[in-house]
Amino acid sequence: MASPIIREWSGINTFAPATQTKLLELLGKLKQENVNSLTILVMGKGGVGKSSTVNSIIGERVVSISPFQSEGPRPVIVARSRAGFTLNIIDTPGLIEGGYINDMALDIIKRFLLNKTIDVLLYVDRLDVYRVDNLDKLVAKAITDSFGKEIWNKAIVALTHAQFSPPDGLPYDEFFSQRSESLLKVLRAGARIKKEAFQASIPVVLVENSGRCNKNESDEKVLPNGTAWIPHLVQTITNIALNKSASIHVDKDLIEGPNPNQRGKLWIPLVFALQYFLLIKPIKALIERDIENERKPAWERRDAGFRKRDF
Amino acid sequence: MSSSTAPNNLAAVIPSSCRKRPPLTKCNLSPSDSNSKPTLPRPPLFKAIALSSAASILLHCTPLSPFLPNPLAQFGGGGTTGGGGGGGGDGGWFHGGSGGDQGGLWQRMFAALADESQSQEWDSHGLPANIVVQLNKMSGFKKYKVSDISFFDRSERVRVGTEDSFFEMVSLRPGGVYTKAQLQKELETLATSGMFEKVDLEGKTNPDGTIGVTISFSESTWQSADKFRCINVGLMQQTKPVEMDADMTDKERMEYYLSQEREYKRRIDRARPCLLPRHVHAEILDMLKRHGMVSARLLQRIRDRVQKWYHDEGYACAQVVNFGNLNTNEVVCEVVEGDITKLDIQFQDKLGNVVEGNTQVPVIQRELPRQLRPGYTFNIEAGKQALRNVNSLALFSNIEVNPRPDEKQEGGIIVEIKLKELEQKSAEVSTEWSLVPGRGGYPTLASVQPGGTVSFEHRNLQGLNRSINGSITTSNFLNPQDDLAFKLEYVHPYLDGVYYPRNRTLRVSCFNSRKLSPVFTGGPGVDEVPPIWVDRTGVKANITENFTRQSKFTYGLVMEEITTRDESSHICANGQRVLPSGGISADGPPTTLSGTGIDRMAFLQANITRDNTRFVNGAVVGDRNMFQVDQGLGIGTQFPFFNRHQLTLTRFLQLIPVEEGAGKPPPPVLVLHGHYGGCVGDLPSYDAFTLGGPYSVRGYNMGELGAARNILELAAELRIPVKGTHVYAFAEHGNDLGSSKGVKGNPTEVYRRMGHGSSYGVGLKLGLVRAEYAVDHNSGTGALFFRFGERF
Repeated sequence: MASPIIREWSGINTFAPATQTKLLELLGKLKQENVNSLTILVMGKGGVGKSSTVNSIIGERVVSISPFQSEGPRPVIVARSRAGFTLNIIDTPGLIEGGYINDMALDIIKRFLLNKTIDVLLYVDRLDVYRVDNLDKLVAKAITDSFGKEIWNKAIVALTHAQFSPPDGLPYDEFFSQRSESLLKVLRAGARIKKEAFQASIPVVLVENSGRCNKNESDEKVLPNGTAWIPHLVQTITNIALNKSASIHVDKDLIEGPNPNQRGKLWIPLVFALQYFLLIKPIKALIERDIENERKPAWERRDAGFRKRDF
Repeated sequence: MSSSTAPNNLAAVIPSSCRKRPPLTKCNLSPSDSNSKPTLPRPPLFKAIALSSAASILLHCTPLSPFLPNPLAQFGGGGTTGGGGGGGGDGGWFHGGSGGDQGGLWQRMFAALADESQSQEWDSHGLPANIVVQLNKMSGFKKYKVSDISFFDRSERVRVGTEDSFFEMVSLRPGGVYTKAQLQKELETLATSGMFEKVDLEGKTNPDGTIGVTISFSESTWQSADKFRCINVGLMQQTKPVEMDADMTDKERMEYYLSQEREYKRRIDRARPCLLPRHVHAEILDMLKRHGMVSARLLQRIRDRVQKWYHDEGYACAQVVNFGNLNTNEVVCEVVEGDITKLDIQFQDKLGNVVEGNTQVPVIQRELPRQLRPGYTFNIEAGKQALRNVNSLALFSNIEVNPRPDEKQEGGIIVEIKLKELEQKSAEVSTEWSLVPGRGGYPTLASVQPGGTVSFEHRNLQGLNRSINGSITTSNFLNPQDDLAFKLEYVHPYLDGVYYPRNRTLRVSCFNSRKLSPVFTGGPGVDEVPPIWVDRTGVKANITENFTRQSKFTYGLVMEEITTRDESSHICANGQRVLPSGGISADGPPTTLSGTGIDRMAFLQANITRDNTRFVNGAVVGDRNMFQVDQGLGIGTQFPFFNRHQLTLTRFLQLIPVEEGAGKPPPPVLVLHGHYGGCVGDLPSYDAFTLGGPYSVRGYNMGELGAARNILELAAELRIPVKGTHVYAFAEHGNDLGSSKGVKGNPTEVYRRMGHGSSYGVGLKLGLVRAEYAVDHNSGTGALFFRFGERF
């Protein structure tokens, strides 16, 4: 697949100056660590705000958003460079269709990602959902099956629609922690990862893509708890990108799973020998026993013991 | 000779029935009847066994010509008018026994009966009614009609009913027409039979001109005996009786009797023991003890008992020919068992002439049971076995196994095997036309397709049952490249040599086949998965070693090219799937190992089958185990190296012991079945194990449950016999053991299949067809299926 056209990251200029400074600072930090490019994979169920989040991070309307409609079936890669640093964000279609994992969408995503390296997985869901269900688990499972458990070491959970008032006067922070906890729990179950290993590494960030997002005095978009979310998100991304876990390189083996045809091939001569000695030979012996024990008709038996006659 | 003193040996209680004449009548029994005892006339007659080309076993019973003074034989055997009158001639190859004074009796008797008149015209006696006429007072010129025959036992002063065993000795029939000479001969026969001390025949005139015959007799008796011995006198030199000179002095007479006695002792000592088992011996001893005096009737009963045993056991040629040593405390029963002196294999042409056959004799000899060889006693069961075995060669259109008396050795039997060979070369063409209605509902000329099969066979090459056969089948001879199926096979039996008992057969064949792959099948709710055809073309060479009729070991090499094609016969490398939008994408699971749609590979194939199932009144009972392994050699596209194996275990458990025999009900049977299939190494999708289908998990379509690397199928079926067939209930389960993802592309998941499933149901066997209602446990719905053949 042809590499995407890398354009100058002009959208960064639309951000508030304070945000811009912070972002450039973070980019600089990455460059210091010799990281010149970053690939973020955005995944999640349909209609949770994946594309909007991508648009918010880039600062332009790079991916068309269509409310009330399922998005296009193909993943889109957006590449922006700024000061010698390239940011790739891969937006993917929703993984759920009609209550099931859309195998084909997943398959397309996998093929799209072939020979790419994923530095960060941004798992997007909504904050303003009270319940988690089996679908979340299925999505987590699908992601794990596709890219392996290691991808969760590079994962960030992003909860959109953060500018939301919790019901019944529940404190915002409490609601947030409850929501993130229950989501993480189901993701963990879906990914079949042990509790400790998981919770420690997956940060949860809040996202508000709405244009009516509250802003602070320096014109930064802020969340109800007062944090400016874009810098916070990029900060988390940077942290994850720089953590000890290796990035996920998507190659053929990863997509198709380990080649089952190669498994145990070395043992075949042994298997064959065992079959010969433990199955074929004993069955042969059983047949010989059958022949000996065969119930012969009376005339045959009688003559057998009677043939000492002289002739 | 109207009366005689009881001889020391009672010869010819039994008229001989084995004859050298060609059969007069044949009765055919179908194979299913072959178990039941044929209603043969007694004394039993010779049987020839024969086989028709239709491969059904026919029993040709050849009742002998009714030269015997035995009404049952006459009527039962002939079925023709009045007995066929075939007597005389060379009959009576059993001589009248030793010691007695009636040597050559039978010759005389047969000669006498031979001139029996067949005329049905009769003369009135011309006398007043109700007059008793002595036989010698009768007119020699009249033909008397006998209205009835009665026996009168003088010693007991009673009339004897027709059920008496003596009755069968009289050849006269009520309603028959006889001359005085015939009646006299009849009387002579009775008198010389040794059964009677005294016997007379007199007539009583009836008003209508017929006469009633009364035979008054007094039975012969001998001193009581407490020992019984049965000896086989077959193949022994019959002692020629020395004519006793009427002028002998008492001393000479005494000497004569003593020498006779000594000679008889020697004879008994030389005779070989009989097959007669101890329990029959004991039974007869019991009869002797109970009866006290040995009477002619008792001897008849003993003879019947002994012969019954022989004939029940299949020794059809066994005959009691004489009772010797009478008037001592031991009764000696002389039996000719029917020892085989020669085995004669003949080939006949279509007209029945003896010809030189193409088939080599050892090929036939190795199929014959040892019990047909010279030195053994002829047994009809051995004959039937020979018939079945020879028939299984499929080389002959007609097979007859025919015992006949040996002319050179008295009491010997020559077993003749007469074979009519099938044509060596045969070719067959069968055609079919297919018409497809066109657009307007009428078939167009272009839709008319001539199809059919051309097959040929060249059998029995070099007389060693080697054969070449081939066939070509297509549904359209105008365009055969579409679906041409061919097979060419060379079969080489007796690989180790025809004299060597090891039975190995080499088969080399070229073949092709086209099958719909069950791997590319949708699960429940998946509308339609575009089908994939798997074409295989290749060469196969294998050696089959037959251990028993059912158990065998086959091993060989297979080289084949596998091509996968889509609906329109284009080679395709991947399975297709229908997109939600309705389009078709061709990026499904790969169909071949190479990824191009064409694979070539060579592998070893071995299959060992142990089958000791047998039929108990029509129900299969026993074990069947099969293990098959395909071992890839790394030769072929992508160097395929694999070990694909399957183990099948089936148990047919008889639940209730039953008595075996024709017409008896079969037992209920529980069938337990397990099948494991697995593969290590390269596994192309066409070799994956599929679950579901009539031979896997019933109630599902072929492959509906999945296609996997390892599978396990378990089944249980209970068969209850009902009115000549059986009903059954079954439960089955198939599981992929989580190995569906072990098949490249995971076709099970792509086509949304469960990977496992159970079913249960009930069914009824209707001949070859099974009608069953099976409930598919995954969806809980049931359906009625009709299937051909057996599941297990």
